[in-house]
Amino acid sequence: MSVANGFYTIRLVFSKTGRARYISHLDLNRTMTRVLRRAGIPLWYTEGFNRHPYITFAAPLSLGSESLCERMDFRLTDDSLTMEEIVDRINASMPEGLRALKASEAIHKVCLLGFAAYRMQLSCTAEELSAFLAQETIAVEKKAKKGGTKTLDIKPYLDVAAVQATENGCELTVTLPCSNDVTVNPALLTSALSAFCGREITASVLRLELYDLQRRVFV
Amino acid sequence: MANPDELFLKVQKPSRYTGGELNSVMKDKTAVDVRFAFCFPDLYEVGMSHLGMKILYGLFNHQPWLWCERVFAPDTDMEALMRENHIPLWGLESRDPLSAFDFIGFTLQYEMSFTAILNMLDLAGLPIRSADRDESHPIVVAGGPCACNPEPIADFVDLFFLGEGEEVDLEVLELYREMKRAGCYTKAEFLRRAAQIEGVYVPSLYEVTYNEDGTIGAVTPKDGAPSVVRKRIIRDLDHCYYPDYFVVPFSDIVFDRAQSEIFRGCIRGCRFCQAGFIYRPVREKSPEVINKQSHDLCASTGYEEFSLSSLSTSDYTRLEELLPRLLEWSEKEHTNISLPSLRVDGFSEELAARLNVLRRAGLTFAPEAGTQRLRDAINKNVTEEEIFRTTGKAFSAGWSAVKLYFMLGLPTETLEDVAGIAHLGQKIVNSFYQNPDRPKGKGVTISISCSCFVPKPFTPFQWEPQDTAEQLAEKQQHLRDNVTTKKISLSTHDNKVSFIEAVLARGDRRLCAVLEEVWRGGSRLDAWSEYFDYDRWMKAFAQCGLDPAFYANRRRPYEEVLPWDHLDYGVTKEFLIRENKKAYAAQTTLNCRQQCQGCGAACWKEGVCVERR
Repeated sequence: MSVANGFYTIRLVFSKTGRARYISHLDLNRTMTRVLRRAGIPLWYTEGFNRHPYITFAAPLSLGSESLCERMDFRLTDDSLTMEEIVDRINASMPEGLRALKASEAIHKVCLLGFAAYRMQLSCTAEELSAFLAQETIAVEKKAKKGGTKTLDIKPYLDVAAVQATENGCELTVTLPCSNDVTVNPALLTSALSAFCGREITASVLRLELYDLQRRVFV
Repeated sequence: MANPDELFLKVQKPSRYTGGELNSVMKDKTAVDVRFAFCFPDLYEVGMSHLGMKILYGLFNHQPWLWCERVFAPDTDMEALMRENHIPLWGLESRDPLSAFDFIGFTLQYEMSFTAILNMLDLAGLPIRSADRDESHPIVVAGGPCACNPEPIADFVDLFFLGEGEEVDLEVLELYREMKRAGCYTKAEFLRRAAQIEGVYVPSLYEVTYNEDGTIGAVTPKDGAPSVVRKRIIRDLDHCYYPDYFVVPFSDIVFDRAQSEIFRGCIRGCRFCQAGFIYRPVREKSPEVINKQSHDLCASTGYEEFSLSSLSTSDYTRLEELLPRLLEWSEKEHTNISLPSLRVDGFSEELAARLNVLRRAGLTFAPEAGTQRLRDAINKNVTEEEIFRTTGKAFSAGWSAVKLYFMLGLPTETLEDVAGIAHLGQKIVNSFYQNPDRPKGKGVTISISCSCFVPKPFTPFQWEPQDTAEQLAEKQQHLRDNVTTKKISLSTHDNKVSFIEAVLARGDRRLCAVLEEVWRGGSRLDAWSEYFDYDRWMKAFAQCGLDPAFYANRRRPYEEVLPWDHLDYGVTKEFLIRENKKAYAAQTTLNCRQQCQGCGAACWKEGVCVERR
């Protein structure tokens, strides 16, 4: 493993399900800082007046969504622990709903993140969803970076893997962009679907995997 | 029944309601005998900061037969959704409705939380009055500082714990468990037997009669209840349970850190301060125990900061011994020590530097009064010399902001004392500019915060009238008129809230009707200014035929039967009368370590009362 500036960067893959889906991104940062401090691993701290562990997340998850593929980077001062030991120690100090799945050396830079795959349980019928997806364009209002809103056609960005009818509605498996240039949040899709159906469609969202710009699994 | 889950995404800060935080305790409900819902009658971020709750949560859950869960007051957005969807208030751990519990326990930290208690009982689907609850309902209990005069909520709570809860709470819960097991449980019989336990006050077993002038005639016990109920204390803090874990919240709470209690009680005896009297006698923990408990807590929570908790950190006799021990591991583990209510002077240079004492303590003083005469009258032993010594050091070290806390409306206060607050601020401003080492290119800012004095039970000022709203307004204006520099920023408290607080603090049982009325009118989280509605309170007093000024603004004679006279907190009335008279003579009283004043707390023969001097 490579060492630069006196620390090793570890990338942790973890799931966030059940009660943990109500932990906001800001709160997750605080929660994970304490998880790492409890875990008894050789944490690297920032220098300066207010020293703290350095942690960063690849792609913030919306409040209420679940995920099987969150990525968090943090730094260790040495490589005395195996990746398996790191995972075990972190899991021993995780709250309900958060679970470490894998630790490895960080390879891709976070700016290379390109896409995210989701499974969405929707309260509309499979027919409604298919009709919605078959539209020529799907225009949504999106917050512009410089304030105000802009209209965006998300149709070209939808990479639909499957549509399936379920007991309470339907299930959509879809890959959406989440890069520096363009991000389509599942909530955008749901609000466009609600407008299409003329009623509020509820969605429970599970993020399945993150990919880089070449659609390789983000590692 | 709908599931609370469906509401979480529709409210602000859902993680206040979800539970599942690290270290929260899950048990098999079929494997425990007693379930206890520990309720803090305020929002999650306030209640989760409270040390007493963490201690009792740990202690209760340490018992295999008992499961204690946490409950907080929902914010108004959540309450509206709960009522709309008929979802009763639930325990955070099991998510079971409160009606499924054996006990519902409230902690009484401040009077303005009383309406939240009624609202939480109602949200739980329970009748709010004890008399309307039967064997099918949980027993409603309460404890905490405001239990020293519980009369304004006596009709809503079945049983009060007086004093420290670690022993008496479990004794009551065990009695309940035994009676259930023996099949002889009835609510009435349970309460009758619980009243025999020291530290337990069952208000329904006491009848209150009133004189024609509205004062209390007599409080008469029945069914064998004791005529005076004495509070409980823990004799040996070193061997008393202390949690080695805290529940670690996801969201930001008011005090988001580990806390180690270092002693209980206070030697000072400031005459306005209820905590200084009701927690007597002072009992310390040893440095070894504090050190271990602090380290264990930090390890199990991952907190990056812990604070030493007490009424006055500097009065801990072994601070110089304790701090180096704590620093030994905390520096290594990047954990900060926070030392609240610390006097900055009196530290060795080396320790002061390692602790970064100035950074931690900040420059905050609570002189409480503007002149030495009034400080003597209230027995607050902060002197101007001490303030200037500390600010002088701090200004030389680059500091330029000072915070000062005062009270308006203290007994014997004159307009001269009020102006003295502004003058003290001005003197600090002047001392800054006279200091040759002051930070260059920076102005000084003095923040003065003035609250309104509220007379409290079991203090030497328990007989004193509170200033009327007009008097307080006049003093606030006089203070503003005397501040002549923009270097001083002045903030004053809403005297209307303080007025209601004063009514409730020294109120009697007749106020239960007012509380019910004002809650039915929509009052909930009165501790939050945005929810406090003064007019609704005044309407409720009128509706119930009670004059709030009778409780707040009347001087009570020493002979009057006070609503809390049948409760015993160790300090005697004779002592409090002595202290009251000394206040009017502007005489100070030595602290407990300098000389015993015979307050009455020596009856326990513990702590400072038996220390060798």
